[in-house]
Amino acid sequence: MDTPAFLTDAPRCVFFTGKGGVGKTSVACASAIALARGGARVLLVSTDPASNIGHVFDTTIGASVTAIPAVTGLSALEIDPHQVAAAYRERIIGPVRGLLPAAEIDTITEQLSGSCTTEIASFNEFTALLDPAATHLAEFDHIVFDTAPTGHTIRLLQLPGAWTEYLQGSGDASCLGPLSGLDAQRETYAAAVRTLTDPKLTRLVLVARAQDAALREVARTYDELADIGVTAGHLIINAVLSQSDTDALAVAITRRENAAIASMPRSLAELPCDRIPLKSVEMVGVTALSALFDSSTTLSEVSDAGDAHIEPAPLSALIDELALDGHGLIMCMGKGGVGKTTIAAAIATALATRGHEVHLSTTDPAAHLADTLGEGPATMRLSRIDPVEATEQYRQRILRSRGADLDAQGRAALAEDLRSPCTEEVAVFQAFSRLVHESRRRFVVVDTAPTGHTLLLLDATGAYHREISRNLGADGGFTTPLMRLQDPAHTKILIVTAPESTPIVESVELCADLERAAITPWAWVLNNSLAAAHPTNALLRARAATEVAHIEAVASRYSSRYAIVAMASTEPTGADRLALLSGEVAVSPAD
Amino acid sequence: MSKIEVYEPALCCNTGVCGPDVDQALVSFSADLDWLRGQGGDITRFNMASEPLAFAGNDTVRSFLEVAGSQGLPLILVDGVTTLTGRYPTRDEITLWSRTPAVSPAAKSMTLLDTGKDSCSGPGCC
Repeated sequence: MDTPAFLTDAPRCVFFTGKGGVGKTSVACASAIALARGGARVLLVSTDPASNIGHVFDTTIGASVTAIPAVTGLSALEIDPHQVAAAYRERIIGPVRGLLPAAEIDTITEQLSGSCTTEIASFNEFTALLDPAATHLAEFDHIVFDTAPTGHTIRLLQLPGAWTEYLQGSGDASCLGPLSGLDAQRETYAAAVRTLTDPKLTRLVLVARAQDAALREVARTYDELADIGVTAGHLIINAVLSQSDTDALAVAITRRENAAIASMPRSLAELPCDRIPLKSVEMVGVTALSALFDSSTTLSEVSDAGDAHIEPAPLSALIDELALDGHGLIMCMGKGGVGKTTIAAAIATALATRGHEVHLSTTDPAAHLADTLGEGPATMRLSRIDPVEATEQYRQRILRSRGADLDAQGRAALAEDLRSPCTEEVAVFQAFSRLVHESRRRFVVVDTAPTGHTLLLLDATGAYHREISRNLGADGGFTTPLMRLQDPAHTKILIVTAPESTPIVESVELCADLERAAITPWAWVLNNSLAAAHPTNALLRARAATEVAHIEAVASRYSSRYAIVAMASTEPTGADRLALLSGEVAVSPAD
Repeated sequence: MSKIEVYEPALCCNTGVCGPDVDQALVSFSADLDWLRGQGGDITRFNMASEPLAFAGNDTVRSFLEVAGSQGLPLILVDGVTTLTGRYPTRDEITLWSRTPAVSPAAKSMTLLDTGKDSCSGPGCC
């Protein structure tokens, strides 16, 4: 095995972070194995709710340190953020259940179901692991984490001079609710921050694929963490297709990957970087993981891969159904990097080409899509919501309006609250509410959507307003944006995912979030399918074969209405290429 | 000096910036509370989402919730006496209450429910 640069002279703590689906867990597991094989005692910690490290090592792990029999010197621990958050909620709510009215218990539960609670509850769990004085961890030379804390969480812990005020149990800790009353842990938090910001103790490894969105995401994480002093960074570009082949798809993918790498954000380009080649098999089992850092894949490994047989399920069939309504809201939801924007653009273009009036709104900062679509059908209008810009405008507006009469200290506190992860949700939602209104008259296709937490907040407001109008004797006829989203005749939600295990698990979670707000997805779109592209390259054929089981699982378990969209050999921009992608016009698959 | 306790509805953040609308009263109150503390005042806020036990463990607060529900919050107690409900106090009010001599135990037993709440209450309205 070659030792990659990011594991050379590894400090005690090594964090792996990156967008879902980039192979962060595989890289973390492979790193833990490599360090253990080098003679170190290693603890592997996962905070991924979709963690399958137990499956990878064929051992049941869970919430306590468990030795991995297959690898000498390796132990593992799985922290499930949702479980941790649920346990935290129960610690708060349990003691008052039966003491407070049931309606109040529901309100509290709702408030504690946001991203803040999950984020901080899991951070709480692993700050304990970062304390160098933690005696039960003294036996380990390395702790490998398969996810990193966000800048927001660490920044809250670092508020200068705020320790006493924040932790003296008054419940006054803004966004730090889960930490209030835990004054005794103060030293643990301080130690955690010292560990994270010391390059001799901590290394941050950013894991991405050779794709713009994945690279941008780790760049943002890196910048945020650099702001608060975590600077020891390495970059890994995972699953790079390094094949010299005449297969049109393989050539095209290599060209796209090289372009993404060449245009990566500058802060990343300055970091030491390792590239890990795409493997023919899914990273399950010690044997597969042990070979992850080998620089070559032999063809004998992949030569016996058969053709992947899947039933065609073109996007155009879904578009036929959508077109029947004549208007309405179509939302493409899914975790980042799965191609929501592309799918939204393909649907919008198809509807407009069929003569419908369409408004496509995207949050994709890559303006070239907008440029290309500008020449699209005349009945299509395009707008763009930049989440970063929308959030900044929202912050400035609130500071200007609500913060106008505050003193310096009050403004500083308000500014800090406005850095909460919920703020972006709210800002995007406000922009989004306007689109909901518009969809009564034409098709509105959006590539982003509010999270379950924001929907619940809106529901609370909606309920309150309905009550007010009832009390005031208003003549009913009240429709909130949420009510339109809940109406299947008005809103069609498409869950966009890739036919791979982690993105599918995340999509299932997203559906659960939506169910909490009484919203039911209409269909699933399995995007970037290699199986549907019928490649001739042996490595790609082997990867395609791994998709079959995932596609069958979606069809049988999650949604009987679904479409499969083939991996495009060219960047899918422009009306013509989008029409090929959706199956609106017929083509040979590898064109 | 008197002790002021503020019982608030379930909130994600102190200033309500995580909510669908930002309540000016909440933003101003957060700043006023910081200010009073800076002056040495004894004022504590309890968020129903993070400290429901403080609500359940106080007879006055629990009874209030049973009658008015959390829509009647915030509830402000000064030395245990219900002083204001349904809106946040102003900086002048908390300054005044903070300076009053502690209320005697006899007076405490005569806690009254102030139901004359402001017509505008709860996050998202104002």
